[in-house]
Formats: sequence, C-alpha cells, structure tokens
Amino acid sequence: MHTFSYVKAKSLKEAGDMLAAHADAKLLAGGMTLIPTLKARLAQPSHLIDISGIAELTGIDVKDGKLTIGAGTKHVEVARSAVVKKAIPALAYLANQIGDPQVRNRGTIGGSLANNDPAADYPSAALAVGATIVTNKREIAADDFFQGMFSTALGTGEMIVKIVFPVPAKAAYEKFPHPASGYAMAGSFISQTAKGVRVAITGAGPGVFRWKEAEAALGKKMNAAAVEGINVDSTDLNEDMHGTREYRANLAKVMTKRAVAKLSGK
Amino acid sequence: MAKVELKINGKPHSYEVEDRTLLVNLIRDSAQLTGTHVGCDTSQCGACTVHMNGVAVKSCTVLAVQASGADITTIEGMAKNGKLHPVQQAFTECHALQCGFCTPGMIMAVAGLLKDNPKPTDEEIYHGLEGNLCRCTGYINIVKAVKKSAELMGK
Amino acid sequence: MDQHHHSQLFEVGGAQVSRLEDVRLITGNGKYSSDWNAPDQLHACFLRSDRAHARIVSINYEKVGQIKGVVGVYTGDDAKASGYLRSANFLTFAGKGGMKAKVPDRPCIAIGKVRFVGDIVAMVIAESHLAAQDACELIEVTYDDLPAVIDPVAALAPGAPQLHDEIPGNAPFEAETGDEASVTDAISKAAHVTKLTVDCTRVTASPMEPRAALIEFDATNGGYIVHTPSQGVNMTRRQFAGYTNLAEDKFRVDIQDVGGGFGQRSTVYPEYISMMIAAKALQRPIKWVSTRTESFLSDTHGRGNIITATLALDKNAQFTGLRIDWLTDMGAFLSPTGPVSHIRNPSTCLNGVYKIPALYGHFTVALTNTMLVAAYRGAGRPDIAYAIERVVDAAALELKMDPADLRRRNYIPANEFPYKTATGSTYECADLPGLSAKALALADWSGFEARKAASAKKGKLRGIGMSTVIENTGAGMYPKDEIEISVDAKGLVTAHSVAQSQGQSHETTFAMVISNALGIPVERIKIRQGDPDKATTMIGNHSGGSRTMVGAGTVCHIAANKLIDAGKSLAAEDLGVEPSQVTYSKGEFSSKQSKKKITLAQLATKKTLCVRGEGTFLSTFPNGCHIAEVEIDPETGVTDIASYLSVDDCGHVVSHTVVEGQMHGAVVQGLGQVFGEHIVYDKQSGQMLTASFGDYIMPRAGQHLKSMRMEEHATMSKVGPLGIKGMGESGCTASLGALVNAMSNALGVKHVDMPLTPAKVWKTIQQTKAIN
Repeated sequence: MHTFSYVKAKSLKEAGDMLAAHADAKLLAGGMTLIPTLKARLAQPSHLIDISGIAELTGIDVKDGKLTIGAGTKHVEVARSAVVKKAIPALAYLANQIGDPQVRNRGTIGGSLANNDPAADYPSAALAVGATIVTNKREIAADDFFQGMFSTALGTGEMIVKIVFPVPAKAAYEKFPHPASGYAMAGSFISQTAKGVRVAITGAGPGVFRWKEAEAALGKKMNAAAVEGINVDSTDLNEDMHGTREYRANLAKVMTKRAVAKLSGK
Repeated sequence: MAKVELKINGKPHSYEVEDRTLLVNLIRDSAQLTGTHVGCDTSQCGACTVHMNGVAVKSCTVLAVQASGADITTIEGMAKNGKLHPVQQAFTECHALQCGFCTPGMIMAVAGLLKDNPKPTDEEIYHGLEGNLCRCTGYINIVKAVKKSAELMGK
Repeated sequence: MDQHHHSQLFEVGGAQVSRLEDVRLITGNGKYSSDWNAPDQLHACFLRSDRAHARIVSINYEKVGQIKGVVGVYTGDDAKASGYLRSANFLTFAGKGGMKAKVPDRPCIAIGKVRFVGDIVAMVIAESHLAAQDACELIEVTYDDLPAVIDPVAALAPGAPQLHDEIPGNAPFEAETGDEASVTDAISKAAHVTKLTVDCTRVTASPMEPRAALIEFDATNGGYIVHTPSQGVNMTRRQFAGYTNLAEDKFRVDIQDVGGGFGQRSTVYPEYISMMIAAKALQRPIKWVSTRTESFLSDTHGRGNIITATLALDKNAQFTGLRIDWLTDMGAFLSPTGPVSHIRNPSTCLNGVYKIPALYGHFTVALTNTMLVAAYRGAGRPDIAYAIERVVDAAALELKMDPADLRRRNYIPANEFPYKTATGSTYECADLPGLSAKALALADWSGFEARKAASAKKGKLRGIGMSTVIENTGAGMYPKDEIEISVDAKGLVTAHSVAQSQGQSHETTFAMVISNALGIPVERIKIRQGDPDKATTMIGNHSGGSRTMVGAGTVCHIAANKLIDAGKSLAAEDLGVEPSQVTYSKGEFSSKQSKKKITLAQLATKKTLCVRGEGTFLSTFPNGCHIAEVEIDPETGVTDIASYLSVDDCGHVVSHTVVEGQMHGAVVQGLGQVFGEHIVYDKQSGQMLTASFGDYIMPRAGQHLKSMRMEEHATMSKVGPLGIKGMGESGCTASLGALVNAMSNALGVKHVDMPLTPAKVWKTIQQTKAIN
C-alpha cells in the first residue's frame, strides 16, 4: 500500500465535505474491494474517508411497496434481514452468495454498487428490479446508474446514501461462481412485476446488462422453455482463460432458466 | 500515524501505527500474537481470520485504525482457563490439520459459522468455509471437525 | 484405513489429541518462518522483472533516498561481486551418449539479463517492510526487450529465442533408458498400437505458508543463521554451501514449524542468498516474507511434462512394448531437484504396474522463459503413472475392451515379485491383481451401467475410471538416516531427527514407533526435528519422496532397541548381574537373577543414556488402485465426484489416522490439478495469468470430493524391519489417472487434457455433439 491519510467521517455532511476538499480521496466502507486494491498498489488515494460509522447510511425498511436499504448495510445484514427476506427473498439470497462469510461480514451494498465490478452480484438485482440509487445529491435510476466496467453515474463528491428497491411480485437470482474467485461468471436476476419481466445478467459481460429477448419471452410465458430457443448475443461478452464468450453466453442462459424454475417454484 | 486502542483477547492494547497498517500486522508485529497467519494478499485464503466484535473477518483486509475501539479475538484467545475451545478440540480429534498453517484461520471461521448456525448441514458447512483455503487435508477431516464441533458445543 | 479404524487419540495437557504437535498448532503457538524476529532486524523487498526476457540496460535507484528508512539497494553487481552465481544441482547421472547436463549459472540477483517474469532485479533493504516496498517502486529499470519463448516445444524449435548463450537450442540435457531397438521391434510386430500424448500440466504446490526467511550473519565464524521453511536442514545447508562456496558447517538452520512443503520447500532459493549478502554487509539480521503473488511467480512450479506414450499390444491384448517420449519444461534455469526427479522417477517406474518386456524412455529437458520447475508431490511419479494409465484406457477404448479386463491381463503377477523391470529397477513386493480385484468389487465396477442410466435420467453424464499405480519412494541423498535418542532423569525420552515435517506428523508417528519399542506412553516421548546443534553432526535425509517413515521412522525403532541394549549394559552393574541377564519391559530393567529393578529414569539419573541409531534403506514400492466415478452437469460442465475409492498397499501402517490424512490431501491435490489448477503464462508476453488465488483454481471444501473410501491390501516391505512403505505421494500418483479416465469415459472421448474446468468440460461436450 502507498501512504494515505485515514479520516473517519461522523456524518454524511462531513463525508461529503471531506470528499469535496480532497480530490484524490476515496470512501472506505467495508473495504472488501478497496483494501485489496490498495494492497496491490493499484490505487493511490490521498485520503481514505471511513464512512462505516455514519448512522444515515444504515437501516433496512419497507414501506409502500418499496424496500429501502442504507448504503452502509453489510451483505450479512441483507442476507439475514427478516424484512428483506419477506419483501424480496431473492435479494437476501443474492447477498448470501457474495464472496465468503468473512467478506459478507464487512462488505456493503453501497460499496458494491459504487464499485460496479462487472462480476459483482448486487448490480443485477438493482437493474432487474429497477431500483433507485439515492445519493447525497440526487436520485439515479438503476437504468442510468451502471455505465459499464467499474463505471457509474456517480459524479465527483457524490456518494450513495441508500438504495430503494420497488418490491416485485416475484424475483429470483441464480449465479455461477468463478471457480477461483467466487465472483459471478454469470448471474441472472429475474424480476416480475405488473409492468412485466426484467432480466439482468451480471458477470458475463463488461458490465451488468438487461437481456431483453428473455424479458420478452418470459413476459409471455414464465417458464424455462420460454428461453430455450433464444440466446444471449455473445459478441460483446468477456472471454479469458477461464471461459470463452460462448460459454459465458451459455451460462447466462442456464442461470436464467434456473432462476425461472426457482421463481415459478419448480 | 494513527493511535489505535483496542482489546485483543480481553486485554487492552494501544499502539501508534501508520494509517496504512493492516489489522493483521498490528496483531502479529505490534501485539506479537503470531498465531494469526497471512497466506495471501488478495483476501482469499482466510488464514488471517480473527473475530472483530464477535464476527469473523479477514484481518488482512481491515486497517488497524478501522479496528480502533474494537474487541478482537485471535486464536490465542480461544482456549479458556487451560481448556481448549470445542472447535480446537474437534480439530485435533478429527485430525483436521496437518501443517497447521491455515488452522488458526479455519478455527476462527468455524467458530464464526457455528455462532450463526449451530447445526449446519454439509452444504452449509461448504458455504461457510468458502473463505478459507487448506492445502494439506483435502478438507474432508475439516468438515468432520465442523460437525464434531457442533456436537461438542451442543453438549 | 477403512471406516472401522478410529482415530488414535492421546492425552496431552488434559486434552484428547490425535497428534502430539496439535496442541501448539491449534492454540496459535506454532512457530513458522515468518514468526521469527530478531532485535535490530531489517526488511528486504525484491524488485522483480515484469518482463519475460530482456537485457537490463540500466538500474537507477537514486530516488529510493526519498523513502525514510532505506538502508541499501543490491543488484546484479553485488551478486557478481559476491560470486554467488550457481545454485546446487542434484543431477548426477549421465545423459544420452554419456552427455553431462549443461547447468546454467543462476546468480542470486539477475546479472545483465532477466529470463522470466519474477526474476530478481534488485533487493531493497529498509527499516520496515513498508519502506522497502515503497522504495522498490521508485527504482527505475531500463530494459531492452528480447523475444521470449514460453512453450517448451517452441523453445526447442530451430530459431527459438535463446535463454543462455552457453546452452544452444535451450536444450541442457537429454537422457534415455531401456532399449529402443526392442521397443521399435515390438511396435512393428504389434497387433495393435495405441499412441497418446498427454500434458501433465504445470501447477504450483501452494503450501499455505508463504516463503519467508530471517537471516543473520554470524561474525563468530563468517557463516549465517537461517530461519526458513525447509524439508530438512541437512539438504538446505548443503545447498547454501553450494551456492556460497562456504563450508556446510557455516550454516546454522534453525526451524520449528513448516506450513506445507510438497517438494517446493526442498529448494534453496536465490532470495535467501541475496539476503546473506546484505546481512553480512550491514551486520544486521534481514527478514523477508513473500507475498502470495511472489509465491506464484517465484516459488518453484511442479509437473510441466508433455508425455507421449506408445503402447504395443499383441492379439491377446498383452502389452509387448512401451515407448515414452517425455518433454520436460524446466523453466528458465535448472532447479536443484527438477531435472533429476523428473527423469529418475519415471525411469524407475516406466512400465507402471504392467509386465512389459520391451521398454524405452526418452527424456528431453527444455528451458523456457518461465519460473523454474522442481519436485512437487510425486515429482515425475504422478506424471508417468498418469501417462501410462491414460494410454491403457485409450487402448481399451480402441479395442472395445473393459479397461479393468485389459489391466487384469497385464498386471505383473504377485509371484513374480521382486520384479525386475526392463529399465533395470526392482519392484520389491505387491499383489496387484488382488489389490485391483478388491477395488473393483468394492467399487461395484460391474454395476456401473445401472448407475450411469440413473444419472442419465437426471440429465447427467456419468463416467467411471480406474488407475492402478506403483511408485518408488526416495532412497535419499545421504548414505544413511540417523536418530539420536536419549532419556532424562524424569524418564522423558527425546529423539532427534534431521528430517523435517511440513505437516506429515513426525512428532506423533516417530513417537508411536519409539513408544512401541520402549513400551512407554507416547506422551513421554518428544521428537525434536532439525535441532541446529545436532544437525552438524547427524547424517540423514530431508523429508521428500515419501521416504521419511521408511528411513527416519524406521530408525526410531532401531535406535529405541539400541537404547534398550545400551540400558541393559548400564543396568547390569546396578542390578549386579551380567547384561545378558537383564530384561527390559515397559520402561524398566530387571533381572530374575538378582530380583532387582531399575527404571529408565533412575538409570538416567546415574548414567548418560543416549544412543544414535542408523539405517540405510532402498526404495519401497507403495502401490494402489483408485476408482473414481464422476457425474457431469452438461449444461454448465460442472463435475461432481460421485464416489472415490482407494485400495492401497502401504505396507505396515504406523498411524491409520495420519495415513488417511495424507491420502485425503494427496488425492485432493491430484483432483486440484485435474479440475482447475494450472499455471498459465501468456504465450506472447510471458506474463503470468494465474498469479493469485483469484485466478489459480485451488480446491475448496466440498468442491468435487465430499468423501472417499479407503481400504488396504498390504504386502509388507522387507526394506526395513517394520515393513513400512512410504505413502505421502501415492494419492497424487493414483488420482490423476483415475479421475481423467473417469472424465474421458463420461465425455466419451479418447483424451482431454487437464485442467477439466467447467468451461473446458462444456466445450468438450459441445465439440462431441458437433461431431456426432
């Protein structure tokens, strides 16, 4: 790690002020991505602003068909929350598939979304459910928030405060973990509402994306056979020594089929 | 530099460390408790697992300063009054260690797992050990030891 | 080894333990290399090459002065000045046509040129490891890139980039064994010939303890005090001496716990030698702890052999000849253990478990712009067994025969042991047909089709595979193994050994052997390994090649009996009788004649009770038959091991608990290689693509293998008085073949190379679909 100055913010405002004051500062929540990145000397922030103690970033609650989760909520808290389990059980399930127990004990939902790792789990849920990302400055629709690999709509000095998930009628998540890292090689989150079906795929491409053909097919008939005849376009998917783009396209489809089966209770 | 005051295994400790010091380095170098090990630099092996305020964390992925005010338990704090912790007892009874390097982290991870889930199924055990690597045992006896721990703790 | 054997538990400090070393290891009181510290120590950090092949034009380290606490920077110039330019090499036999191996220099810091990503370019010494790291980043190296060659076949091709001027064609050694003409003849007359090339992939041992060292200059004798992971202090001291041209007795190697070895810790590494330069120059202890990324880049790799097996069969499917063409990729230099083990071990077991009259093996060593390859659990034995067990399965497929039947026709019969192979080695004892029949029955080999049909109903592909193997355990580099055993006034027995456990449980198993011989409880016996004060005078081998229970373990028995004999002579005076009239039982000497008794403790208060036992042992030949059944999810390519059975002949077993643990670990290391582990370098840039646990696929709990059934079919070795055969590696040796045979069977292909990741399995299924 390079040297940096550690500062602990006590309030959202203080964190925002610190961010504004130091152009090369970074926010530190759970640190599950940031600290390994620093250890690999891949980033050189001037300051780390610890936001883990800020009360405004905590809390899980459901009201008027909307589930709100504070950005500082740890994966383990989402996974075990009775409120989340009741409102969107697929989200609690997803949280329990992230990393490993020790990572889930520290990592936060806000951190995961802000980092937008193309193989992270949460972005698929946010995109499929059509969540709203509430920052210290504005509200951003998930459709606009994710902008490709490690890139989001967050501007300078902007930080996520909470995430608002409209509660879908039904939802399911299935993930194929990378055999070494445990990140998603492909994950499929399906959300069904009165407005229709949304399918978000993570891990397979350079960023989370919606699989619109599957949405259309599943909108007509919610069963695994509905996606049998269609395929994820593999052109822009990731390819590396761990798998070809065709394999990832296949996994995206298989995970979608399995999520559908789960969603329809089969 | 940062001042870090914390409890390790029930005893208060206070150190002046660089801001970038990792919790594991504070534990190993400053507190000289070398039972907590470092097996990788990418937070994957779990050899550095300790309990921070009762929760299993990888101490290589926590800054020492983040642990200020925290209550840390390391492997050295598991046996009480000369009596092994049930997870320690189960690990030796089941021959769940060979070289012993991953063992402290494994024991801390298993203790964390059983705290949340006192009677885990096989699948839950595998899921609970995803953050820990062992190179010697092939995990078969480690899984046995988790079950044995659950049994000993249920008594 | 089967289910009814319960753990042998001992009472230590009020706790039930299965091993005597456990109490300190489960309480955090182990002492591994990075746990050693010395007052006033400095810290080293290595700047490593980020390119595969380049000339070093200049190294500018002016900026390191910006970092507080930097004490020194060392480069190739210092390596040159020290003369620490050549590592030891244990390749002593002559090659093809009497050729000698061309062993390239390996300066402890690169001089003028880097040859692989991770090669040491400079070493920074600072007051803290963070300062040393910061300073490393400020060193500016100007390189002149050279073309690199990563693939061993390409390295031997004409026009390939040359790694070392003195080794034209990147070919330092070639060797052969057996009789080429007779094999050529057998192939020409064969009713059927099966030829198969397998890649026994490059992997890394990945012991969980990263390498580390604390090195101190000893001003009293101009030598060094070293704490570093080792598989045996003597072998380590010999290599230090070889590298530095100092006498072996100048090195005091002091270690306690070693966090896994698997062959990788039998090598002395250039980092330690570089640190010696600084420790002497600065007169302060130097500490270094490797990161895991450095481990991937700079710990020796294993396997890395491309093997072509050509098997000749007559019309009765009897094997008449076998030709092995073996290409071994040794990386950028020759490691001390790599070339020798990758040629000698396969030569010893070139025919596997089969009676084959004509044998020929040809070995070519290639140098590539990659990290060095050295011994890794089995060191050539798993590789040869894998090639043979695969070609036998391929032959069965081509002949439409049951692979079990084809093997049955060709096993060396039990009554032909000791069996002299066509390459000149002698397999001591085994009952291969009996062992294999037992395994086939227990695995219900004949009932497989029904299980396959049941899997098919669930949409899964099922396959079965067997592998019957035999291997030589290491005979050792030293002429004998010694154990010193003494008794103190409390009656506590201490035994000294220079073999070093890296997890093999010597403290328990040695104590069990001594406990048996002396008739006293194991808790009364303490095993001290590698005591630096003893090491200088004790002869003995390191722990490698599965040899330690055969060697040092057996000598524990010999030494304990020698202690009894010595005790009888000493006790005779006290008992007032002739030594021949003294009997010993359970810690007590007595005489019928004088009706007197004296205990070991009482005797030790009056006399020095200390003896050294010794023994020299040839190789033993552990063998086994492993049968695996796999079930593949064709949608994702994920494989589950539905069952895994082993029937092994390890001779006499001292501790079933320990043997089971070794077998679990070795089989899972084998399956790690089969299903995921693979060191991959980018073919163009030579960058390593698998330099973390995020990309290198290590086995995890519950992944693939959830349980295994182990049975025994022992024949007792006569190499030593206890009948032991070494078994630390045989699980690796058997599992590669059993698992890949099962996978090939499930996928319906003649062969598919490791690693069988889900992606590879899925792709194979798609390709097979396309063909059919």
